[in-house]
Amino acid sequence: MIENRKTQLLKKTGLRLLGFLFTMLILSIVVFCFARWAPGDPLQSFYGDAVESMTSEELGAARSRLGLDAPLHVQYAKWVTNALGGNFGLSLKYKKAAMDVVTPLIGNTLILGVTAYLLVFALATLLAVTCALHEDTWLDHIICKIGTGIYYLPPFWLGVVLVLIFSIHLRWFPSSGAYDIGKAGDILNRIRHMILPLIVMIVSHLWYYAYMIRNKLLDELRQDYVFLAKEKGLTKRQIVWRHCLRNVAPTIVSIMAISIPHVLSGTYIAESVFNYPGIGALSIESAKYHDYNLLMILVLIAGALVVLSSIAAQTINEIIDPRMKETGVSAWQR
Amino acid sequence: MGTILEVKNYSLSFDTPEGEIEAVRDVNFSLNEGEILAIVGESGCGKTVLCKSLLKLLPRNARVKSGKAELCGENITAFSERRMRQLRGKQISMVFQDPLTTLNPTIPIGKQITESIRQHQKISHNKAKAHALELLELVGIDHAADRFNLQPHFFSGGMRQRCVLAIALASHPKVLLADEPTTALDVTVQAKMLDLLLSIRKRTGIAILFVSHDLGVVARIADRVAVMYAGKIVEIGTANEIFYDSRHPYTWGLLGAQPALAMKTGELHSIPGMPPVLLNPPPGDTFAVRNKYALAIDYEEAPPMFQISPTHFAATWLLDPRAPHIDPPIFTKRRREE
Repeated sequence: MIENRKTQLLKKTGLRLLGFLFTMLILSIVVFCFARWAPGDPLQSFYGDAVESMTSEELGAARSRLGLDAPLHVQYAKWVTNALGGNFGLSLKYKKAAMDVVTPLIGNTLILGVTAYLLVFALATLLAVTCALHEDTWLDHIICKIGTGIYYLPPFWLGVVLVLIFSIHLRWFPSSGAYDIGKAGDILNRIRHMILPLIVMIVSHLWYYAYMIRNKLLDELRQDYVFLAKEKGLTKRQIVWRHCLRNVAPTIVSIMAISIPHVLSGTYIAESVFNYPGIGALSIESAKYHDYNLLMILVLIAGALVVLSSIAAQTINEIIDPRMKETGVSAWQR
Repeated sequence: MGTILEVKNYSLSFDTPEGEIEAVRDVNFSLNEGEILAIVGESGCGKTVLCKSLLKLLPRNARVKSGKAELCGENITAFSERRMRQLRGKQISMVFQDPLTTLNPTIPIGKQITESIRQHQKISHNKAKAHALELLELVGIDHAADRFNLQPHFFSGGMRQRCVLAIALASHPKVLLADEPTTALDVTVQAKMLDLLLSIRKRTGIAILFVSHDLGVVARIADRVAVMYAGKIVEIGTANEIFYDSRHPYTWGLLGAQPALAMKTGELHSIPGMPPVLLNPPPGDTFAVRNKYALAIDYEEAPPMFQISPTHFAATWLLDPRAPHIDPPIFTKRRREE
């Protein structure tokens, strides 16, 4: 029985891994094709304005040197073979390996993005529970009103205001960068640089998720089992934390999984307002300048995060609620 | 046999935007130790609301207008939420109608029971588990140890209801409010559930307030029966008095609507009309419009409780000495002759 369960688990993990690779393959094909079909000339990003004074022979020579003149499927095949060997090609704009452009920046983005992500959901859950515990009282009303108001503050404007107040007037926090020069390893220094971007990212996402969780919790509080829980003599807090939140958890985990790109892309605004070196701004640039190789690697990283997190979410949800296990039978076949 | 739960002049209203809904109106009854008192009536007559309000499980717009409920001599109507929590599950607990939705679907059965035990007793996890296993066996779930960690969806409806009962009994309460505990179960399971309740009463001496709309079920289990209509108790007496010597036309109607009885008379009766909406109820007897024996006074003044025997009371003007004599319907007569 145990052996059986083990092989089952292995099989399941294997299948999911296969699904992951397949998804990445499809994603790379789609992004590759769309990037090439989109109007615009990649040589523009390679040579800058010099392109305009080049002759058509020179342009043709440059294209064939960069491998841009081959048919699309040949280009793609070449890209895949290289990518499998760990070579993701040259960034046309930065004129060095795309990998080398991304590596120094991705750490900064991940630290900022993941911290914001975890804080957003932790705070959203806390807020939602507070609202649910005090449903339809002044506290709930005030939280909802303020939450909605703050959610509609434009993040770039908020960023600028925060810089004005906390960097320029109060001089509490630095206004830009990820760390002071020569202090990349200094955690405290990094945290000081992250605080203002974090505030902007949290404020711009928090209420969206808090409100969603709050409403799910209120639905859950109206279930019959809450009567039984009350009848046992449990307090409101115990009911919400032990019973309702547990039952809402699969929803929260699923939302967290699909919102990874949402929150991570939120770094873009923080990165541009606070001049924080990260891959958010890089992604936009790579698309703008037709920097295909850079674009591919960034999209694949984001895609891998999304797919992996949804696999993780499914696994976590099965632990929370075993009814969610895939039985191989759809609802229509039962 | 001492009185354990006494409800006196109990009235409860819901405040709604449309006005005040008088869901429970001037209800009086008492429940003795080890007794099973059944409350019967149509849907919407206030049975469930009465039970939930005793435990204060109603929404905020519910308000006790008058009267009180005394548990072991203490007026629990005046209790704060904090004191109610100490009471719920410990002194008085409740079994609900639909076993499929009353258990938390994601938490294993065993944990739901130990949670209830440990809420009121400071005991170790292992002791609570041992106690929970005993409870599961008490309510007739075999292989309790193997099933301890299963979620409710592994159980059938009847088994889930047994689990709910185990939770309700976890801290040895003195009173059990059973709100249609058998309605959602099929008939064979129903019978087993009733036997289980009777055996638990015998073993633990718990007093049960049994709410049902099914007189067949009530006949099997109740010591005394209270008939409720539109938020009022219209007739109350021992099971014998209600089934063989009922006096209120509404009780006659309910009895006549029993298929088992109809087999004997060859006729299945129904009570015409619908129960009234209790938003500004009309003056007089709310049952008058559906009552073929209604007197003129029924439309003007609500009847008081007339005493028929030391245990038997009914609220109908037919019992007034000035009222015309009316023969009860044929089927109750036959029952009396039997």
